[in-house]
Amino acid sequence: MMEREFVCIICPNGCRIKVEYEGINIKSIKGDECPKGKDYVKNEITNPLRVFTGSVLVGNGDFSLASVKTSVPIPKKYLKKIGEITRQLKVESPIKIGQVLASNLLDNNIDLIATRKIIEKNL
Amino acid sequence: MPEKEVIIIGGGAAGLAAAVACKQKGIEDILIIERGDYLGGILQQCIHDGFGLEKFHTSLAGPEYAQRYIDQVKEKEIPFLLNSMVVNLTPQKEVVVINYKGLQHYRAKVIILAMGCRERTRGAINIPGARASGIYTAGVAQELINLKNYMVGEKIVILGSGDIGLIMARRLSLEGVEVIMVAEKLPYSSGLPRNINQCLYDFDIPLLLSHTVVDIEGNGRLSGVTIAQLGKRGGIIPGSKRKITCDTLLLSVGLIPENELSREAGIVLDNITGGPQVDERGQTSVSGIFTCGNVLQVHDIVDNVSLEAEYIVEGVVEYLEGKLNKEGEINVELGKGLRYVVPQRLNRIKDTIFSFRVNQPGEKEVLVFEDGKKVIKKKFLRRVNPAEMIRVKLSSLELEGIKTLKVKLV
Repeated sequence: MMEREFVCIICPNGCRIKVEYEGINIKSIKGDECPKGKDYVKNEITNPLRVFTGSVLVGNGDFSLASVKTSVPIPKKYLKKIGEITRQLKVESPIKIGQVLASNLLDNNIDLIATRKIIEKNL
Repeated sequence: MPEKEVIIIGGGAAGLAAAVACKQKGIEDILIIERGDYLGGILQQCIHDGFGLEKFHTSLAGPEYAQRYIDQVKEKEIPFLLNSMVVNLTPQKEVVVINYKGLQHYRAKVIILAMGCRERTRGAINIPGARASGIYTAGVAQELINLKNYMVGEKIVILGSGDIGLIMARRLSLEGVEVIMVAEKLPYSSGLPRNINQCLYDFDIPLLLSHTVVDIEGNGRLSGVTIAQLGKRGGIIPGSKRKITCDTLLLSVGLIPENELSREAGIVLDNITGGPQVDERGQTSVSGIFTCGNVLQVHDIVDNVSLEAEYIVEGVVEYLEGKLNKEGEINVELGKGLRYVVPQRLNRIKDTIFSFRVNQPGEKEVLVFEDGKKVIKKKFLRRVNPAEMIRVKLSSLELEGIKTLKVKLV
């Protein structure tokens, strides 16, 4: 039996959640203040998920970088690989928030969406 | 001299939310004056997510959060000036603005100070050693990397465990840069626990508590720093010094509310928060000058900045309607365990949100508001942390009839 304390990262409350588990079987969860905390620790034990955030180069925009995030949380182990991919990408303005800038990355249905609105540069 | 009803100094999170709230409450004649070349302030460089959980019930990146307000400002046709710096503010609520057109003078019935804060620098913490290049504050590095597409270095040491430093540790790791460690002078982190988890531990970056940088080396570019462990009283533990080879040092050692204009206008500041002393709706010691956001007190969550801006606008509206009549003055007294309280005084009995920070981390504390010996309100706090602002609302019913007000931990 393993016992571990997690700090939930879902919201600023940062609940300290105590979990007893064996392998991937959870015996007890204590200290979570909402259901999101339970889901978070379940994922942490089986397959930790994170939203990737980063930036990609933009041609001809009022900002030179578009900030991006993955459309859903992705397995933690992919974070650095997605970082490598974003360093190679270049997109053209204009860009809307929510626009998909790259899709099916790592052949794993990972989409990158824009989190910054970018308009064409006034020349 | 053009006259406005409300002039808002600063177009970041606080200024935008204040502008939108003013317009929603029927104030027509508003002007936002922003120093930078875009609205949104620091949010534009905070490209990580986690913003908006309270305000919009979803997790947004900083630019997304900012855009929600920028869209409203544009929809509501609220005028704003960019690349325009307020260089003077008087108690008569006259402002002098400098921009590409030259000097402009305005007068307003109400001024809302929303200038935010700036970072403490190497000079503020007196790190000795070489004056090498490669030393950045974390926020400047964030701006360079996230907005200007300029990488700051290859092997990085971060001093200070403030949230921006933690966020930058993750950001740099994701950009393929090596973050060697985060050193923190205090025996506990000054960042949010969730950020230590997802920004450091996720990337196997060590957090060295009770450690600081005591020397900087480098001829031209920084080539290394010396770190040392600190004892209980803050002195260097003999024999604990070691040299770390790196090319960059990031400083995340605190934020200072940017109150040069407030001082010029004769506004009384709080020595601890670094922001103006205010009443129950963010009015400073100068009548008609209100304030909100990081220039008032450094927040850890932007949602609270927006909420604070909306909240003080209630006072702005009453002021403009001539209904804001001072009923008396009760100074909020600070007791054991607390570093500061905002507001510092009550001029009227109204539902009031009090914000605090504690002196040190603790568990199972009770926050008590009292009038002399009479306890007005008690709040149980499962755990407290200086990194986490505590906000407690007292209703006008609870505050009714008080002669004094003291708040403390027991």
